[in-house]
Amino acid sequence: MTDLTAAGVPDQRRHLESLLMRESLLDRDVQRRTEVPVFRMLPDSYVIKVGGRSVFDRGREVVYPVVHELSAALDDGYKLIFGTGGGARTRHVFAIGIDLGLPTGVLAQLAAADTLGTAHMLGTLLAPKGVVAIPPEIFGHLLPLFLAAVPGVIYNGLPPYSIWEHPPRVGRIPPHRTDAGCFLLAECFGCRDLILLKDVDGLYDDDPTRNPDATLIPEITVSELRARRLRTLPFDPVLLDLLDSARLVTRFRIVNALHPERIRPALAGENVGTVVSAG
Amino acid sequence: MSDALLTGDALLTDLGARLVTGSLSDEELLAGTGEAVPFQILPDANVVKIGGQSLIDRGRAAVFPVIEELVANLPRHRLIIGCGAGTRARHAYSIGLDLGLPTGVLSVLGTFVSSQNARMIHYLLARHGIPFIEPAGFAQLPLYLEERRAVVFFGMPPYTFWQRNPEVGAGRIPPHRTDTGVYLVSEVFGARSMIFIKDEKGLYTADPKKDPHATFIPRITVGELKELDLQDVVVERAVLDLMESAGHSRRIQIINGLEPGNITRALNGEHVGTVITSD
Repeated sequence: MTDLTAAGVPDQRRHLESLLMRESLLDRDVQRRTEVPVFRMLPDSYVIKVGGRSVFDRGREVVYPVVHELSAALDDGYKLIFGTGGGARTRHVFAIGIDLGLPTGVLAQLAAADTLGTAHMLGTLLAPKGVVAIPPEIFGHLLPLFLAAVPGVIYNGLPPYSIWEHPPRVGRIPPHRTDAGCFLLAECFGCRDLILLKDVDGLYDDDPTRNPDATLIPEITVSELRARRLRTLPFDPVLLDLLDSARLVTRFRIVNALHPERIRPALAGENVGTVVSAG
Repeated sequence: MSDALLTGDALLTDLGARLVTGSLSDEELLAGTGEAVPFQILPDANVVKIGGQSLIDRGRAAVFPVIEELVANLPRHRLIIGCGAGTRARHAYSIGLDLGLPTGVLSVLGTFVSSQNARMIHYLLARHGIPFIEPAGFAQLPLYLEERRAVVFFGMPPYTFWQRNPEVGAGRIPPHRTDTGVYLVSEVFGARSMIFIKDEKGLYTADPKKDPHATFIPRITVGELKELDLQDVVVERAVLDLMESAGHSRRIQIINGLEPGNITRALNGEHVGTVITSD
């Protein structure tokens, strides 16, 4: 057990023999050696993020047709993992929390409650299909089991960062929100595709709510998108960084939930909005 | 519907109104969220991290004196004690990588190991009435600190399947491990200090266990450290990135826990080991 380190002093640490034994996991050469292929856990499933402010906050008029299409997709045999956004309630609790001076990690913890509320709304409407909101504490570990038993599952979309959320470069808003949570989930489980259901047709070359002449960009890469320096994006900006470092999910789709007839073509691989790709 | 419910009188501030209606990708809006005076949740607490490979894996010879010194400081200092993972995590990562497991699953495996270490440290502190808390138990942390002066937790942030990948080419070991998880606790609670107890004097220009010519760096800023672009560093690189954006925890200290007295000196605010500051 006690042998010499490379620096010539006795090594009194008790090691367990492994490839990484005695290594600093912060050594860049050691890190590079761990760049190995990844096993896909759920290659036939899809992650669909259902927007909070863009879909659920609009009520029955928008939500019912979306639920109808999602039900049809489940009937078609698609295995669907739904994440939900917190919408206006999350924005409201952020505003109060920020006014009180609370840190980013606390805001992230608070947001989980709103997104869980939306997850339960969707779970109520999809209950006839056996698709319900799963408590976040067990969701990740049991996901493959659930998907083997029912056509789809719902979770609250947020990554479980809670008080461990990263302080952002600018301001106090948690950077890893529900778009990011859905992306990270799809990447870890090796899902086939990620669809973000929003209330715009896709990504525009300018904010379409401010500029009526803005034009839709059907396909774009991360580097092209960064070069455009757009003022606003219809998704969590951290998704660009996540795409950069993705091994399995190398694109995501933005689809307009106000045109729910586009959802099933999007699942079939048709570009009915914007596709953002790594690169 | 959201606009009708949550604009105007329903919102506390103008920022609140803009948060509900605006885009969270808009940097101007985000900048506004950083203007409120931050509230420090636990300004008297000290966060200390006991290294896994560096200390706990050495067993009694290294751990008992550290425990003794921490206990001796309880009358004067409140301690939030996080634990690293160490050689068993390296073993699990090695096997997991060989099996092609995704980074998120490796993160789950690392959590198990840091949890084992935290339990062992907890039992050694149990006679002093000090509890072990899991992420779900952090709401009780202020009570325990007030009543018992200390708590023990596992250092791994609870990102599990939602752990971000390292950059492509930089390997697949979870980049946010126990240094990051413990550091973020110091940031979110606005703690008085963040002390990493390891088995080296502090930061060197190279790994002193491998390079006898490595020179010691007593004090450095994050910017200067990044400029050096070291092959190996004593603390997870993610901590350095987060320090640049941090609102509270803008100074960390790395000390040698094998040398008696260092913990006490660091808790008393003395400069032992290496001090890294955000600016």
